[in-house]
Amino acid sequence: MEVMPTGQSKAGDWQNYQRVLLPPVNDLHKLEVYEGEGGYQTLRDALSTDKWTPQSVTEEVQRGVLRGRGGAGFPCGLKWTFMPPVDEKVPRFLCCNADESEPGTFKDRQLMEYNPHLVFEGMLLACYAMSIKTAYMYVRGEFADWITHMEAELEKAYARGYVGQNILGTDFSTDIVIHKGAGAYICGEESSLMNSLEGKRAYPRAKPPFPAQNGIWGYPTTINNVETLACVPLIINHGGEWFSQIGAEKHPGPVLYGISGHVNRPGVYEYPTGMLITDLIEKVAGGMRNGKKLKAVIPGGSSTPVLTASMVDGVTMDAETMRDAGSMMGTSGMLILDEDTDIVAWLRRVTHFYHHESCGQCTPCREGTGWLENIVTRIEEGEGNIRDLDLLVDLCSQMEGRTVCALADAAAWPVRYTIARFREEFEARCRPSLVPGAEVLETVE
Amino acid sequence: MGKITIDNAIFEFEGDQPSLLQFCLDREIELPHFCYHPAMSAPANCRQCLVEIGNPERDRETGKIKVDEEGNEVIRFFPKLMTSCSQDISDGLVVRTHRSSDLVRRAHKDNLEFLLINHPLDCPICDQAGNCPLQNQAYKYGPEGSRFEFRKVSKPKHIRLGPRVILDAERCINCTRCTRFTSEISNSHQLTIIGRGVKNYPMTPPGTEFDDPYSMNVIDICPVGALTSEDFRFKARVWEMSSTPSITTTSAKGSNCYYWVKDNRILKITPRTNMAVNEFWLADDDRLDYERFNDDRPSGPTVEGEASSWEDGYARAARILRNVDGTRIAFLGSAHASVEDNHLLARLADELGAATPMYIEHVDVGRGDDWLRSDDRTPNSNGCARLGFTVADSDLLGARLRAGEIDVLYVLEDDPIAAGLCTSDDLRGVSVILHHYNESNQTIALANVTLPAATIVETVGTFVNMDGHAQRARPAKAIRGVNRTLAMEIGRSRADRHGTPFDRWHNEDNLVDCQPGWVSVPGVADALGLDIPTTSPREIMQELAASNSAFDGATYSAMGEYGIRLSEIGETV
Repeated sequence: MEVMPTGQSKAGDWQNYQRVLLPPVNDLHKLEVYEGEGGYQTLRDALSTDKWTPQSVTEEVQRGVLRGRGGAGFPCGLKWTFMPPVDEKVPRFLCCNADESEPGTFKDRQLMEYNPHLVFEGMLLACYAMSIKTAYMYVRGEFADWITHMEAELEKAYARGYVGQNILGTDFSTDIVIHKGAGAYICGEESSLMNSLEGKRAYPRAKPPFPAQNGIWGYPTTINNVETLACVPLIINHGGEWFSQIGAEKHPGPVLYGISGHVNRPGVYEYPTGMLITDLIEKVAGGMRNGKKLKAVIPGGSSTPVLTASMVDGVTMDAETMRDAGSMMGTSGMLILDEDTDIVAWLRRVTHFYHHESCGQCTPCREGTGWLENIVTRIEEGEGNIRDLDLLVDLCSQMEGRTVCALADAAAWPVRYTIARFREEFEARCRPSLVPGAEVLETVE
Repeated sequence: MGKITIDNAIFEFEGDQPSLLQFCLDREIELPHFCYHPAMSAPANCRQCLVEIGNPERDRETGKIKVDEEGNEVIRFFPKLMTSCSQDISDGLVVRTHRSSDLVRRAHKDNLEFLLINHPLDCPICDQAGNCPLQNQAYKYGPEGSRFEFRKVSKPKHIRLGPRVILDAERCINCTRCTRFTSEISNSHQLTIIGRGVKNYPMTPPGTEFDDPYSMNVIDICPVGALTSEDFRFKARVWEMSSTPSITTTSAKGSNCYYWVKDNRILKITPRTNMAVNEFWLADDDRLDYERFNDDRPSGPTVEGEASSWEDGYARAARILRNVDGTRIAFLGSAHASVEDNHLLARLADELGAATPMYIEHVDVGRGDDWLRSDDRTPNSNGCARLGFTVADSDLLGARLRAGEIDVLYVLEDDPIAAGLCTSDDLRGVSVILHHYNESNQTIALANVTLPAATIVETVGTFVNMDGHAQRARPAKAIRGVNRTLAMEIGRSRADRHGTPFDRWHNEDNLVDCQPGWVSVPGVADALGLDIPTTSPREIMQELAASNSAFDGATYSAMGEYGIRLSEIGETV
């Protein structure tokens, strides 16, 4: 059994939290409204005052302990320092990863819709910090409306001199290019995204070399998530000290919780990190729908390990606690499942997704994802055998950590942990093993 | 200098090194792999070459390598297995392969299980079977059975990618060697992977076909039977054929190849790696130019159009030559023939007091590229030039023939009429002695004596390519009659004996009654009573290498399997 951490909320006085990523301002996506709320002032300060040099912007982001919001939680400022020293002859790129495709995750979309200029400002500050002259924004193809919306706003920002040549009259110039993907989950993986952006087939690249050495077109590149970049202007404006005081100590800051599933008020909620999962369900999302009991929480997108209702108590949403609780913070796109949920059917849908989205480059993922789906489908249809469960776990071991990117792991974890944590429900669906000598477990009535 | 440890054995190295996989392969440490090819980038997508990688652990403060109680270095292994094809070599690296690690052995087995679940089990009808990396490595490293109990993925079969290459998408394991070949080696960019996940397979862009002049190389580098040759498929199993290392003759590049023989017929030509000439590749026209070795072949010498014995042929040729003044005999050497044959011809011309032979140029302007195809369509024009032969001038030779200045034309293994060197009218009243390969040779009709010649696949000889690389041809198929030198050479190059007189499937019908130039030219000389010893080509080259500085060092033992680069003509002269 895993040790159950029984903790307190690390979000402090979250009931009185004032939203900063998505503040309650009407029409904030419009440039004039954003400017009225003090928008682009941070950029102006950074470019015009002596306090802010590229070096000090990076240091401030590091002081804020900003960790990536795209799923892996890698320290953002540290990632920026991986860029090689500036060489005028070598182009370098920033890429904003807006290919939000993980099932259960829909937070970046809200930022792009309601506060796009905050994202642009974050990109510009990041470009300033790393002396980058071209920033790409890779948006998933399904977000066609959001692309139109952002392109219109970006045009306005160009017209006002926030983007382009000699930004705000300084000698700092940066272009932002919005690039539309063609709708593949794998393009959210950074190296695959770079290949897609270059017009190549979106196969992930073997690492090393990492993007900071060999990125877009083979040049130094930094890739950050939309929400991560949106946090940057906040840090520069209010200070890293302020940012690091919000929420959990090792994983601070505001975060967008995308809550979906069997709750009364699903949606995207901005709160500090370190919120108790129970608080998020009961107090933020209005409790379980129809008064049902909680069955399981998938905390950070469909690939993160499932937590059973009994594992959720006292668990807060920050990377360290989630790791100790046996799961991951991921993208904080939480799926809440109630007691009526057929967990086998849920797993079947998840395995179907990863089978469909495997790019097919590496053998274990290409072949394994389909095999997993086949077996889970068979179990769901009542045709499975007990030994299939062990085979599933075995196949997970054959896939995990053996591929170029992490999609194989993302496909294997839901299977491994759902079976581990709901094994009796799977066994109840299976026929007894037909293999002589195999241990026949009693089926649960 | 650095050292790395592989399975407890220490290897030292110096300077830049290839990837770990290549490092191992170079030292005959086998590691299973599919997608890796030494000439192309390593995408590490087949995931077969996984190994355990470790580095000596260093103390963070002192920077010294940590040592345990027994004085051994403490090695920290990466938590994940690494693909050796994408692993750089660094000093102190510790590697565990399947020979010393259960984890790696298990990983190899797991990966092959995955590769096989959707791979059709049609080895009995697959062209690749018997010569298939997937088959071999599945037997060696794979699981004993399969736990897969579902329908295999169904994908398109027998797709014609282009005029010469057929795809069976179900057999494809998505190693991307073929697409990387077109994007990195031939630069035609004609293939890409389409589909996603398990439905992936290589395809041409819509409305285009895979007609790259080097397209057939993808058939060789395909590690399964997914890409097959339109020309060769279903003709023979690999174990029914023998392969002989030799060189191709379609261009002056002299690409190294294997000739595949069954029942004494050439069935296909595949590339042979020679980093100094063609690296791993072969042009498509080099591969498909083999039917002239099998069909359209003569059946013995003729005298005045009537079949004759070899002795009668030599005697008649001698009679023609004997009664003529040497200056009235024109000798034509051949850029199709070996250095030895041309050299013997030059000696014959010399003995008879004739001018040095000339040779006919076969040039197709614009055909060549900077790679393995050349404008020159003959394998040995460089060798002829090194012997001092000049290119035959059609105007001059035609004029001399018409003016009656020439009584005898002696042609070695070429076709002056088809080449446009002279017309049949020009040859009226001129006696013609012809050594020829094929019945369709247009000069036969005018020849007084024809002496069929052994082609490059039946003889032993030296050819010098356009870059001055001297290489040996070896006999791949047998000729009628017994020749001790050929029998010994064929035994050396073909231990399997297929197609030879000692082959139990020996087919008498497919033996051609011809003789190598180094037998028939001395045969004529012998009938003339001249002193040109009938030595073996090995000895001819020995003598030539010693006496002619243009062939300095070009002995058989020095040329070996990969040939030697001769010095530029005139450099040392």
